[in-house]
Amino acid sequence: MDKKSKNQRLAGAKNWLGFVPFLLFCFAFEFVPIIFLFRGSFIDKATKGFTLNHYAAMGKAIYINSFLNSVKISGLTAVIGVIFGTLIGYAIYRLPSERFRNALISLSDVTTNFSGAPLAFAFVIILGMNGVITQFLIKYFNYQLYPDFSIYSFSGLVLAYVYFQLPLMVLIIIPAFVGIKKQWQESAESLGANTLQFWWHIGIPVLAPSLIAGLTLLFANAFGAYATAYTLVESQLSLVTLQIGYMIAGEVRHDPGIGMVMAIISLLIMGLSIAIYQISTTRVRRWSK
Amino acid sequence: MGKTQIVKKKEKVRPGAWQIILIAGFLFYMFIPIISTYLFSVATRWDRTILPEGYTLEFYGKTFEASYFLSSLRNSIILSVSTIFVSLVLIVPTTYWVHVRLPQAKPILDMLMILPFGIPTVVLALALVQVYNPTPLGHSPVLLIGAVFIYSMPFMYRPISNALNAIDAQTLTEAGQSLGATTGQVLLKVIIPNIFAGIISGSLLVFATVFAEFTLTKLILGARFKTFPLLLVEYTRINGNIAAAFSVISFTIAWLVSILILWVGKKSQGASAEAVRSH
Repeated sequence: MDKKSKNQRLAGAKNWLGFVPFLLFCFAFEFVPIIFLFRGSFIDKATKGFTLNHYAAMGKAIYINSFLNSVKISGLTAVIGVIFGTLIGYAIYRLPSERFRNALISLSDVTTNFSGAPLAFAFVIILGMNGVITQFLIKYFNYQLYPDFSIYSFSGLVLAYVYFQLPLMVLIIIPAFVGIKKQWQESAESLGANTLQFWWHIGIPVLAPSLIAGLTLLFANAFGAYATAYTLVESQLSLVTLQIGYMIAGEVRHDPGIGMVMAIISLLIMGLSIAIYQISTTRVRRWSK
Repeated sequence: MGKTQIVKKKEKVRPGAWQIILIAGFLFYMFIPIISTYLFSVATRWDRTILPEGYTLEFYGKTFEASYFLSSLRNSIILSVSTIFVSLVLIVPTTYWVHVRLPQAKPILDMLMILPFGIPTVVLALALVQVYNPTPLGHSPVLLIGAVFIYSMPFMYRPISNALNAIDAQTLTEAGQSLGATTGQVLLKVIIPNIFAGIISGSLLVFATVFAEFTLTKLILGARFKTFPLLLVEYTRINGNIAAAFSVISFTIAWLVSILILWVGKKSQGASAEAVRSH
């Protein structure tokens, strides 16, 4: 008996061995570097001793500003994405033609991955100084977009981010609408509830976990974005990811510890968003059972 | 009662005005930037008129003259293919092993596959550069492949995990082993052919992701290894028409890969729409 359980334990240990190569890879290229990053954020470059100076330096206007800008653009585009993505998602979900519905879902699947330089440049083509829409507005509405608006600014970046946020929300919310069973609406109606009452008491509470999941995922999606911002607003707007990028490329003479602290704070913000997202999606799964 | 049902049916057949407005707006937002890029890349001049003044393929000819054009395409393909190779070698056996032999580790694996979404690419790049630049691995393509592998592994994992769930890998493995096959033989001869659609979907998703990858490449290797997205960004500052032609190439690759994924997904129920979902 004793020997058997020992053998079983041995077999169990052998099974874990199969997991090791992959774990080693994760350690080498993910965990160890991030642990070192964390450690490095507390180390003074000159004395090699412990310091909190890098964290204290975050109080400087330039760093506070870049965090504020990043949170603002992520929050704003997440809220816009959630509101319009939900409305568009509902419009798509209620379409009578299944083919058209599937085509729109596939379109969202493709466009949510259009980010980075090609997307940023597409927006320059339509909304740059000589952009197509800029010209159109001047010609037909005698309306000058510039200089009040610029694609190379905060508002321009919002437009570019919303481009990939909208379809992402559509993809998150449509399964949630599917989860609202037809029978619920029918039974609510037969009990005398009107449409507004149905949405207020049943629809929105059922959708809530998906809305929260969408908000946090969209927020994280924008917060971590780099390539689109790099192409559009490189030097015009200070964002956390752009700042960290400068420090890696050595384009600014800063203490590398500062970059590490910014990276750690970003990790915390992103980690929190993804954690809330995870919790909300398990909630969603409970409804769809 | 009967009357309301008729009204409802009519509502179902015809989408309401609010629906048409929302969906038209959505289509407008999604297509105008892309269509404009395609047009701009073949326009002779398009800064004074609503439609281009004339059309030309000159800029596509010029892309070949652009230094680094072919080498950047080659680098992007090398990077994508190597990453797919590493992903296949590591993720397929690991996912299978965890499904069949180590189900208690499934939540750990799931969590490991979510983590990369919580790490901004710039942070991953900074962490890797700090640790490895003093070592021989610093500034090497191997480091970049490691980084890109971490960043893209969820895209490979989802379709494969879903495909394994769909085929009941446990029963197939037990059947194979009762016939005397080793685990390796079962994986190669039974499991892989059965989850092939998932493997293809995953590989295509990794290809699309890595081919468009900009941040890790720029920050880890920079000018040492110029990939297509790096060249594109460079040209947005040098020559708009050529940049547009480059954008068209990258949009077109993304469309093609998506169509292929859809097609593979339709061929087998294993790779469901959820598997294609990739954020």
